[in-house]
Amino acid sequence: MLRGAYLAATVVRAASPEPWAFPLALAAATVGMFVVGALVEVGLLRRIYRADHAFQLLLTFGLVLVLGDVVKLLWGREDHSVAMPDLLSGSARLVTVTFPVYRLFLIGIALAVALGLWLLLHRTRWGILIRAATLDRQMLNALGVNVNALYTGVFALGAALAGLAGALAAPIVAVGPGLHVQVIIDAFVVVVIGGMGSVSGALAGALLVGLANAFGLLAFPALAVVVTFAVMAVVLIVRPWGLFGTPE
Amino acid sequence: MSRRIGWALLAIALAALGLLLPHFWLFVAVEVVVFALYAVSFNVLLGYGGMLSFGHAAFFGVGAYALALLVTKGALAVPLALGLAPLAAALAAAGIGYISVRLTGIYFAMLTFAFQMLLYTVALKASWLTGGDDGITGLRASGLLAGPRPWYFAAVALVALALWCLHGVVASPFGYVLRALRANPVRTQSLGVNVRAHQWATFVLTGAFAGLAGALFALSTGSVFPAWLNWTASATPIVMAVLGGIRAFAGPVVGAAVYVLLETVVTGYTEYWPLVMGTIIVALVVLLPDGLMSLRDRGARR
Repeated sequence: MLRGAYLAATVVRAASPEPWAFPLALAAATVGMFVVGALVEVGLLRRIYRADHAFQLLLTFGLVLVLGDVVKLLWGREDHSVAMPDLLSGSARLVTVTFPVYRLFLIGIALAVALGLWLLLHRTRWGILIRAATLDRQMLNALGVNVNALYTGVFALGAALAGLAGALAAPIVAVGPGLHVQVIIDAFVVVVIGGMGSVSGALAGALLVGLANAFGLLAFPALAVVVTFAVMAVVLIVRPWGLFGTPE
Repeated sequence: MSRRIGWALLAIALAALGLLLPHFWLFVAVEVVVFALYAVSFNVLLGYGGMLSFGHAAFFGVGAYALALLVTKGALAVPLALGLAPLAAALAAAGIGYISVRLTGIYFAMLTFAFQMLLYTVALKASWLTGGDDGITGLRASGLLAGPRPWYFAAVALVALALWCLHGVVASPFGYVLRALRANPVRTQSLGVNVRAHQWATFVLTGAFAGLAGALFALSTGSVFPAWLNWTASATPIVMAVLGGIRAFAGPVVGAAVYVLLETVVTGYTEYWPLVMGTIIVALVVLLPDGLMSLRDRGARR
């Protein structure tokens, strides 16, 4: 279900180059994607939950194609770059290494979001309901919980976080059409490696993919991409449910 | 009886098209039949076996590259290379399938996807062999098959033969076991069927036919590109199969025809083909999940 949310990052990556103040752009991206996510869920996804996985995959694929082109129509096909906010553009000295402040800021935000998400899923009533819904949707419905509204909320939340991620990444990547494809593949790989439905798994997966990519680039530049997919293939073969997931 | 008349009419129509169409549309017609084969081979996996592969392009691409390499580097005659290309694809499918069929559902899809992306990267980066991003160009059928019109008839005949074989497979006891393990794998297993062996065999078989489609397409366009191994190329047969309907054998054929014709027409007017395609996919999945073939069935029931 979350996979659909990643496509939302596309739009924001192109939207954020507008010269607004940075925090405002972050908020706008998050809220905007929350709304888009909710609309997509209510208007489209909700109708096909009963259908095969193939159809859900296909629907999100179709949406990716549409949004990718809409972005081209609205913002043109050239790459945009986003200026970093002055406050975060320097570098900091950490014991022995120099590190760009903005990357530290990203790491901080990511950890905060992950912690918040974990608390939300494991320590609130809403989180309990979400986890119950993935186990047995019908039973939850029979117990009087509005599962439809729950799903809308989850999907919109996923889209909002994807939007936030897109806006946060904007200053350090070239924002342009074609980016969304790479992002979806990366997100897929990260989630599969980490294990679906696990926040810590997604973090570990992201770390692993990032490291595999970096070391691949260092060791054999020509085949760096292979390393990522090789890691995913090995994880799927050894632990199909992912590093932090639970077997079905 | 009416069935026989239908086939005869279809054969006459195809022959007439081959004799009357201008060269550009002949090329489009060959693309239709080649992608019909590709989509049907995919759908035997999905519609009958219940296995959603997101890496079917791997075998289309391997078939195409095998043919190109055998002809350019191996200096083999085209018909011989055309016979060997599906074997190369089957070999790739045997390796990938052996590991992949251990997983099910979305995990199966992701693993096939991972292997296909591996092959894509190899085709892109091993430029000494594959020409990298430039691909391999200058392939042509020679002798009797040279020229668009003889090539059209050869391609149509080969695809018809291949589709007949695939239909034979799904109509055989093997095909019924396949349907059974889609509907209820646990029960099928408990009846004494080796589920994984059946899935593996299907994977290899459909891989071989996808490879044949790839080899035919390589000959048709005269070139091979790494993009044929990319994930978008794996999405194409999924779209075609769902467009036509995955519950009918001929569904993907209809889907392929509609897809290729639409693409040809739409790209003539606008560069925003993905926008059109995406809208069609979304509308289709929501409004007509059983594909275009369900319209015919609905009409027949009335």
